[in-house]
Amino acid sequence: MSGADSTKSGAATARYAWKLRDVILMAILGLLFAIIYLAVFQGGLALSALLTPAGLANYGFEIVYGVWFMAATLAAYISQKPGAALLTEVLAAAIELLMGNSGGLTVVLTGVIQGLGAELGFALFRYKKWNLASMSLASVFSALFIFTYELWYLSYYLLSPAVLAGQVAVRLVSAILFSAVLCKLAGDALARTGVLKSYALGARQKGVRIYAEDEAQEVQKSWRR
Amino acid sequence: MRQLNPSLKALSLLLLTLLLAALRQPWLNLSVFALCGLLMLLSGVRPRALLLTVLPLLILGAGLFFSGYRFAADSALRQVAAPGAASPVLPFKNSLLSQADASRVSNGLVLASRVFGFAGPGLLLALTTDRVRLVRSLGQSLRLPPLFTYGLLAAWGMFSQMNLEYARARAAFRARGIRVTPLSLRLLRPLLIKSVRWSEALAIAMESKGFEGHARRSSWRTVPIRLSDWLFLGLCLLPAIGFFI
Repeated sequence: MSGADSTKSGAATARYAWKLRDVILMAILGLLFAIIYLAVFQGGLALSALLTPAGLANYGFEIVYGVWFMAATLAAYISQKPGAALLTEVLAAAIELLMGNSGGLTVVLTGVIQGLGAELGFALFRYKKWNLASMSLASVFSALFIFTYELWYLSYYLLSPAVLAGQVAVRLVSAILFSAVLCKLAGDALARTGVLKSYALGARQKGVRIYAEDEAQEVQKSWRR
Repeated sequence: MRQLNPSLKALSLLLLTLLLAALRQPWLNLSVFALCGLLMLLSGVRPRALLLTVLPLLILGAGLFFSGYRFAADSALRQVAAPGAASPVLPFKNSLLSQADASRVSNGLVLASRVFGFAGPGLLLALTTDRVRLVRSLGQSLRLPPLFTYGLLAAWGMFSQMNLEYARARAAFRARGIRVTPLSLRLLRPLLIKSVRWSEALAIAMESKGFEGHARRSSWRTVPIRLSDWLFLGLCLLPAIGFFI
């Protein structure tokens, strides 16, 4: 009995153990999303500048806020490991900071908070369900976590409750749209191409077109030349 | 600034930012921003680069100011407008502004000045820190496992590749006569596929060279912690006095 248990837990730790491959994938996803985040930041800035005279500048960012949770849910969906969401979000935030973001140093802290929110969403399904529902829940928790923090950090509590309620509503819709629906579509599309064979999402995929062998040979030939 | 230990510098500046968030003093926020700007200029950041990064902040600050001005919470107004409670942020208390207006302005100022107070330390770190040195010191001073320092360094090394690939993907679409906007979702797919394949190839290459990520290694370039680092930490904690005044 105990032997069976230990092999089971051994298999579980092997499944959940971090490999360099996972970490590099997360870091590179983090990099990609850090670039996207900065681009979206400029877009949000333009939007909020338009809304400034109405005093609704905050909404400019709320509309695109869901983009900031994408790295977490996508990485978690691909690798399907506990901690992947948190780690990728933190990495993306750290890289964003190093690229010179104007949100300041606490961008790493916001990464931690958003990542923890996403982790909670997946953990409630005990890291067993990887579908639109769990991704939506993760996004919703990310959005709520970060909003609670902003109430204090950005002194949002100084704004009237009606404006804040509107902000939360817009942010939740944006979160589900970008970091659940869009990430699910992106992850599935990626799995269909076959590049994810060695990750949990790709391994689950049936009928994957395998091109790696012949293509790899061609690439090698081109390197030799 | 460039000589300081990067992890300790990051930690000090993070604490400073959190202090500013807790204190909510517009003039403190603005003076921290000015000080950070001065430090950046002293450590060789080009004024033009600095100006370009400050420009979006002005937009952001203006946006928050008007949000705070127009949509103040009742409690916030009462707090500031309470008779006897001298408005802590407005030196021009007896100006033409009515009391209610003054509290609205101060509400906006609290929100807006914060943007600058937060951005100052962040930019100071981003513009005066060598990235590779920062990652090295994270591993050495903060004991971050090599698995993650390698991951970060690898990703940072891919940065220029990523930009190149982005340009390439756009060019490829244009060559096929497909119009794509700079933030098009069509561009995301090739970039994601490339990311996955790069990370696989990189991981295999690194593992084959013995960078498997779990073993501790000694390092050739060390990033020491000096007395000046602790002094800087103390300097960053100075605003904490504000709690006692």
